[in-house]
Amino acid sequence: MTPIQILLILATVVVLLVYFNRLRSRLLDRVLFFVLAVLAVVMVARPDWANDVAHFLGVGRGADLVVYLGITGLAFLWLGLYTRQREMDVRLTELARRLAILQAEKPKKKTRKTKSDR
Amino acid sequence: MPSPFRKSDIFIVVPSYNEAAVIRSTLHPLVDTGYSVVVVDDGSKDQTWKYLKDLHVHRLRHPFNLGQGAALQSAVSYALAEGARYIVHFDADGQHSLEDIPGLLTPVITGRVDVALGSRFLRREDWQAVPFSRRLLLKGAVAVNWLLTGLWLTDAHNGARAMTRKAAQKIILRENGFAHATEILQQIRALGLRYVECPTRIRYTEYSLHKGQRFWHAFDVFVDLLIRRVFR
Repeated sequence: MTPIQILLILATVVVLLVYFNRLRSRLLDRVLFFVLAVLAVVMVARPDWANDVAHFLGVGRGADLVVYLGITGLAFLWLGLYTRQREMDVRLTELARRLAILQAEKPKKKTRKTKSDR
Repeated sequence: MPSPFRKSDIFIVVPSYNEAAVIRSTLHPLVDTGYSVVVVDDGSKDQTWKYLKDLHVHRLRHPFNLGQGAALQSAVSYALAEGARYIVHFDADGQHSLEDIPGLLTPVITGRVDVALGSRFLRREDWQAVPFSRRLLLKGAVAVNWLLTGLWLTDAHNGARAMTRKAAQKIILRENGFAHATEILQQIRALGLRYVECPTRIRYTEYSLHKGQRFWHAFDVFVDLLIRRVFR
């Protein structure tokens, strides 16, 4: 095993542990994350397997395949995060609006009942 | 004809962001007319809020800056809760004229339309006052608005509008930024509201030209509108 393989596998395991430890996600997220991590470790430990899969799919090298899939995955991740971001913006706006309306300061004089109103 | 109403049933809503320099001179004449005035300080970083303190207006403050569309919606929601019968949109930077408000309100109050939209291109003296580069930009925006909403108007991004309570209840702004100007048109179209354009004078001062929407804003707005087509 080469140093880079050890480094990458360690990093993957650390990320997985931190994710399981710190973020309380739904079961589905955890399973998905676990499968992805195992896949990553296998790809690192056995680059020739990744190469075989790459060749089967018409890609030259396993590393290239990982990059392509990674970029596609990141695009989806970005889309998901962006949608969430917009939802958060809507909620934040609603919250700020309610606060502003609750704390509104009315005019000091009572205009609504003066006679010169017309 | 509508039932009798008081002048204070007409609510002028003024979204403002960093307008300390002019906010008082914008608001004074409005207050003097007897209209109800609602000002939303959209999380200004200058002294805007302080300058509002002793004015005879309803004051709201966003805890942080959200954008003109959001400020407008907060002001309208508040005005409706306060029993507003008619709503008038009015910019804080002093570019609009008090004298144009009755012209905007008349078709709304008589029940001829639900919404009156201000336009600086209806009276010769109004559009002659518009700097040439602005005319081009605005006419470009008119075309974009037509593409996105199907409404062909003479003006775009004119902050002066008047509408009935009902129309104000139906039009709900979700665009926090400057794209709300187009969003209002989209909703007028979608809701089948009756509208008319009314002449308004825009005072171009060094201040308003500096503070107003710049050329790159147009691009931002366009991106906002496109994104809105994709998401939700």
